[in-house]
Amino acid sequence: MSSDAGSIPAASKIEIDDRKKLLKYRRGIPIFTLAFSLIFLFLNVPGASQSQPTLKISAQDHDDYSRVIIQSSLPLSSSVERSESYIFVKIRASTPFRVQRDSIRSRFIESVGWSQGSDSYTLTVRTAHDNFSYDSFKVPNPPQLIIDVYPGGKPERSGESGDIQPDPSIDETERKRTSSLSMDPECIVIDPGHGGLEAGAQGKFGTLEKDLTLAISMRLAEIVRQTRASNVVLTRDRDVDLSLEDRAAIANNNKATVFISIHVNGSYRKGAAGPETFFLSTDATDEEARRLAFLENNSENLDNNIQADNEDVIKMILWDMAQTAYLKQSSQLAEDIQNELNFLWETKNRGIKQAPFKVLTGVACPAVLVEVAFLSNPQEERKLLTEDYQFKVAQAIYDGLAKFLRSNSR
Amino acid sequence: MDKKKLAILAVLLVVLVVLIIVYFNLGEESKPGTGPFIPSSQEEPESEEQKEPAVIVLFFPSERDGLLHREEREIIPESSLAQQAKRIVLELLSGSRLGFLSPIPPETRLRELYITNDGIAYVDFSRELMDKHLSGSSAEMTTIFSIVDSLCYNLKEVKKVFILIDGGEKKTLGGHIDLANPFQPIYDIVAK
Repeated sequence: MSSDAGSIPAASKIEIDDRKKLLKYRRGIPIFTLAFSLIFLFLNVPGASQSQPTLKISAQDHDDYSRVIIQSSLPLSSSVERSESYIFVKIRASTPFRVQRDSIRSRFIESVGWSQGSDSYTLTVRTAHDNFSYDSFKVPNPPQLIIDVYPGGKPERSGESGDIQPDPSIDETERKRTSSLSMDPECIVIDPGHGGLEAGAQGKFGTLEKDLTLAISMRLAEIVRQTRASNVVLTRDRDVDLSLEDRAAIANNNKATVFISIHVNGSYRKGAAGPETFFLSTDATDEEARRLAFLENNSENLDNNIQADNEDVIKMILWDMAQTAYLKQSSQLAEDIQNELNFLWETKNRGIKQAPFKVLTGVACPAVLVEVAFLSNPQEERKLLTEDYQFKVAQAIYDGLAKFLRSNSR
Repeated sequence: MDKKKLAILAVLLVVLVVLIIVYFNLGEESKPGTGPFIPSSQEEPESEEQKEPAVIVLFFPSERDGLLHREEREIIPESSLAQQAKRIVLELLSGSRLGFLSPIPPETRLRELYITNDGIAYVDFSRELMDKHLSGSSAEMTTIFSIVDSLCYNLKEVKKVFILIDGGEKKTLGGHIDLANPFQPIYDIVAK
């Protein structure tokens, strides 16, 4: 519930103009209540009421990694970069911080220095040598940026962080939040539609759907990384072919909390316009339900008969119908995202639809396919080509996602 | 002698043809409009003696909204269920007469159609349905459900429609809607 306590007043929200904000909040008391309770929570964060915000830096060793914790009394907007044996953390700051180095007790982290820019602070983490990998993530209450440094490389692939030990300093509510949807840490899987030879829709000005979906997805991933303490996985981060089954598999292998497939629409109608958000139709799952029934009815034999080689086949059948169990949540997610996109494009709410989408069938978590606008509509194509709109679309999708995650964390 | 016989035969033939034409024109005139445009009515005239023209409903997308719109059309009923289903798909392929949009690439041909005992119609299209298809979820939905709804709405025996391309099963038309399962009709997307 408190996961986004800090992000309400964050810089990322500023570009939503006041009028729209007003409209948005007028839509219902629940949103107001939520906003007030979030502000209330935020005010209760220790140190927030102090006149000068602080940045506390500490580092310590764990079994196979060293952890750097940057704790702030204000919501953190930051980026992390690595260069040889250094990690640079840039923290955006509108007001000056009081920087406090608590304790650096690490054999691998040699020092953490800092410098102040015009609107930002740069922290420099110096490590013993350049053979390391790192993970960074954020937790709220109090806002913390955590960087785990693995000397000699991380034992598992860097997309996963199932091995993150709960830190004693991580607030209890945060742990509750991440565990309510599943036992695993929050993981947002973003799927840029099409790619490689499969270009998808094409606009009048030659814009290809696959390029737009990638651009918007990258921006969305960036916003999630900046705002949440969650893993973000992109099914593709460049122009490559990727089967629809593989996209679902990436979500399931990463134990996704939410799966969002980004697309740009095309229609026979020249006038077709506006965003649409889809979730899987129940019809599509009928067949699968029947297969499940068959599977259950024959499960006694199944247990005895499964050979080691057959387990993959069974797993695949189960994946085929994975989405069935999440339709209700998926419909909620679709609604939350569509509402935000409707604000952005100023469309009437007509855009939530159900259809048997191949890419959604096998995803074992709430999953939606977002058609951000129509590429067959030259006006919308022109807008989508601007970075400004790509960012706005990504931000709208993020706002819907954040709302969904908030209401599912209770 | 031979010439006389031939002449009589010719006269008889002409009379027969005239009778057939008159019969059909009269039959069509009582219900105005479409008769002369139906190509297949000339193909098998003998079997059509007792058949009344039937009204079928086709579903086409319109430029005005994103919905499918009903277009009624008269056809002479075909002899079998599969033939009737084929006819409905062919009518859909031929496009709208009321100015609606065509949901199917014009190059597309119907290759084969058969209906199983449990009411699944397998409709096999040439690969243009996939290759020439306009990409986009909405376009795919429109194409698929104009076919599915048109078949299921008119033929109560058809419960589901399975779309094949070039004789085989394909994953999707353009990366969106799953073709691996037969479709039930969706009438939510039909204009009221």
